[in-house]
Amino acid sequence: MSGDDRCSGMSEDDGGSSSSYLTNRNGAGDSCSTFPDLVLENVLENVLCFLTSRRDRNAASLVCKSWYRAEALTRSEVFIGNCYAVSPRRVTHRFRGVSSVVIKGKPRFADFSLLPPDWGAHFTPWVTTMAESYRALEKLYLKRMCITDDDLTMLAFSFPCFKELVLVCCEGFGTSGLAVVARECRQLRVLDLIESEVSDDEVDWVSFFPENETCLESLIFDCVDFRINFEALVQLVARSPSLKKLRLNQYVSLGQLHNLMIRAPQLTHLGTGSFRLLENVAHSVQEPNYVSAFAACKSLVCLSGFRDIFAEYLPAIYPVCANLTSLNFSYANINAEQLKSVICHCPKLQIFWVLDSICDEGLQAVAATCKDLRELRVFPINAREDIEGPVSEVGLQAISDGCRKLQSILYFCQRMTNAAVIAMSKNCPDLVVFRLCIMGRHQPDHITGEAMDEGFGAIVKNCKKLTRLAVSGLLTDQAFSYIGQYGKLVRTLSVAFAGDSDLGLKYVLEGCPRLQKLEIRDSPFGDSALPSGLHHYFNMRFLWMSSCRVTRRGCQEIAQQLPRLVVEVFNWNEQEGRDMGDYIDTLYMYRSLEGPRADAPKFVHIL
Amino acid sequence: MSLVCGCFNLHCQVMMSYIWLQTADGSIQQVEQEVAMFCPSICHEIQTGMGSSKNCAISLPSQVNPAMLSLILDYCRFHQVRGHSNKEHKSFDEKFVRMDTKTLCELTSAADSLQLKPLVDLTSCALARMIEGKTPEEIRETFHLPDDLTEEEKLEPLRNISDDPRIRLLNRLYARKRKELKERDRSKNVEVEEELVDERSVDDLLLFINGGNGASKDVRASKSKKKNRKRKDQQNCAPSNCTDKESNVLNSMRHNAKAHSHFLPNFGDALKLHIEDDRFAPEGDFDDGVDDPVLREEIDREVEDFARRLNSDWPERMQEILSLGQERKRAPMSTDWNGSLRTYA
Repeated sequence: MSGDDRCSGMSEDDGGSSSSYLTNRNGAGDSCSTFPDLVLENVLENVLCFLTSRRDRNAASLVCKSWYRAEALTRSEVFIGNCYAVSPRRVTHRFRGVSSVVIKGKPRFADFSLLPPDWGAHFTPWVTTMAESYRALEKLYLKRMCITDDDLTMLAFSFPCFKELVLVCCEGFGTSGLAVVARECRQLRVLDLIESEVSDDEVDWVSFFPENETCLESLIFDCVDFRINFEALVQLVARSPSLKKLRLNQYVSLGQLHNLMIRAPQLTHLGTGSFRLLENVAHSVQEPNYVSAFAACKSLVCLSGFRDIFAEYLPAIYPVCANLTSLNFSYANINAEQLKSVICHCPKLQIFWVLDSICDEGLQAVAATCKDLRELRVFPINAREDIEGPVSEVGLQAISDGCRKLQSILYFCQRMTNAAVIAMSKNCPDLVVFRLCIMGRHQPDHITGEAMDEGFGAIVKNCKKLTRLAVSGLLTDQAFSYIGQYGKLVRTLSVAFAGDSDLGLKYVLEGCPRLQKLEIRDSPFGDSALPSGLHHYFNMRFLWMSSCRVTRRGCQEIAQQLPRLVVEVFNWNEQEGRDMGDYIDTLYMYRSLEGPRADAPKFVHIL
Repeated sequence: MSLVCGCFNLHCQVMMSYIWLQTADGSIQQVEQEVAMFCPSICHEIQTGMGSSKNCAISLPSQVNPAMLSLILDYCRFHQVRGHSNKEHKSFDEKFVRMDTKTLCELTSAADSLQLKPLVDLTSCALARMIEGKTPEEIRETFHLPDDLTEEEKLEPLRNISDDPRIRLLNRLYARKRKELKERDRSKNVEVEEELVDERSVDDLLLFINGGNGASKDVRASKSKKKNRKRKDQQNCAPSNCTDKESNVLNSMRHNAKAHSHFLPNFGDALKLHIEDDRFAPEGDFDDGVDDPVLREEIDREVEDFARRLNSDWPERMQEILSLGQERKRAPMSTDWNGSLRTYA
């Protein structure tokens, strides 16, 4: 979220400075020396305008009454990490001059169908309340929320200054809602649909943008799963001189891409759509010059798309490779050779997402060229429990040797060794995010046959900046003991199919003081571990446990001891798990100022 | 002759480019007009004719004592000169704000009273930097501020306006609890800290609810991630229908802005959950005026009774947990990992 909206209309005391200029303020000039608070009172709001970080603002609000009030008046960006932790009304009552709001809804495991639909995270109460109170709202960022077309309509009509809408992993709306936003939000600069589900109401939303020049700077719709009106898009791009970011969906062909690119050489971020020729357009004589189109985009730094790639056209992007800092090939089924031909031109690359089709060899090529790499994600084309997979510890080792500045890694593989993970822990001390996903349950080190404890232990021990960790493979309680012992900065921990006993969970709950989000699935942790976190649950955003060994009774205990915690449990099969001694499928608990939510569906039981 | 006149004129001009300012302590000083005019409020005064002589010296606000005036004039003297580059301005400003907190506060206030916005912003920014990274306690120390937020206020309850007699009882309960908390505070031992742990950590609730830590904008691109759920049947909305839908929404907006009311917890639950924290009346105000000790005792008993009733409202199965060694039915472990494991991370 960009910073500092100066709070307009945040006037000082009544009368303004000019009248107070001539009148004598409280007491002699001496009062200032013993009570700085009084001195600050008139300018405190101005001072607080320079405080932008959430943490600083929260600290300032807890200092004393006058600071609390001043901070509440001047906070312009509000971040709600869990939409059920506070009510919309509470937020709007406290913060009056808000121009930017971030709201996150469902927990992350919802992305993997571990949360039934209709669970909640509805945007409606938020937009309704904000429509009354935040008339000057400019920016909205929603993640994993359910948004309806009516919500979008209300948004479009309620906020005359609205500028930025970013929807990540959201659903429930369609082209009709988008059309209203496009038409009514005349100052719209950003419309980003990222990983969201958009329904096709057969409304040509792209045509609804204003007919004269638009302020659009970013238009991202690569997740939209159906065709849009391409002609309308071309005209929109042509009349959007400020457009910098454009990410097309897979229904845009190479030829169409070319058409757009020549109209928008100022782009910095481009999602290339399918990167494939239309079926009936064979390699005709009149083929557009893709290379020159890319060459014309001198500011391009981020490339993605390639949803259905014609690999032989990959060389078209060579002209922009030298400046690329971000490349997303995670939909491109290319082999090592094809990757090598591109990657050797990309020395400045910092972010790289790719499919494991490039194999260890491809990763070695990345390691050889991309010395500045900060973030790497390797996704699996086929997720199976095979022994052989295209990437392995070899690739990981190569990356750790070549990319010393690595900060974030997500790596799917079929086999791994402790040695490679330990090597990475030593070679890449700047690691902040380490997510290793060894597909295949309880996979040990495939060379030594040992559990992966030592590898992950080394990560938490050596990577002193680590805040996010996802573990996998065969893990005993020892691994969790390491995490509890060394993972002092860990905020997010994801566990699946790991651990031996409740001790594992205890180690983590007792040892990690910064833990905020703990998501566990299919691991043998049970009731006796839950009380270990009683001292800490309020500091967390949530705890998620699915297919573990917690019972209704165990969860009940926690709910009773901590009234301010909302403890939601549910079973996929409603009939099961009624008895207190039965295991429950899913436990999701989070702190809240509001108590149990009123919109929980029937299958969710709040203890 | 003309040369002398010329010099004399020049001398007059030089003389007249001074104005007179009076600080709150009564002392009067002469200041170059060009420099002083950099302050909007002084400029304004000059235009009304003030400040041209000692007798009509411009009275400055009380925040501007001689020391502050001196600093402000230093600032103005530098900035009103046209010749400086941006770099020079920046460099001057950086050095200029290197002063202790107290002076910085005074200076901010003084500049504000003179409407000198650039200096107000400069000093405000410097103060903000002093606040950054500090805990509330540290901030209080730096600025000598009182710790006057109550436990309840730190937890920020919603004001609940209702005439329910239960509220009165609850209020008394809270007043007692508050007294208890104050007493515990006074005794100041480690055990107390631990006992209060729940409340204390909830103190930071707002810190984290409003996101004390960085939001991880984790944009996932795994193509195997998204579910293939059947989309629910959405109302087909042809372009012409858009206006109907819109007008429906607009109507509902006009009529019912309180649609969200169901989000306020129902009162019964609210009692259970906010028992320690809610404040229904201004604090310290709990004397009911009940002087009669007998009546007071009765009230106390009532309150206790009420508290007990509230606590026993919990569902029945609030007993000691059965030992973990007991036989239990085992729920089947999820076996469909194949589809979901690959993307669990």
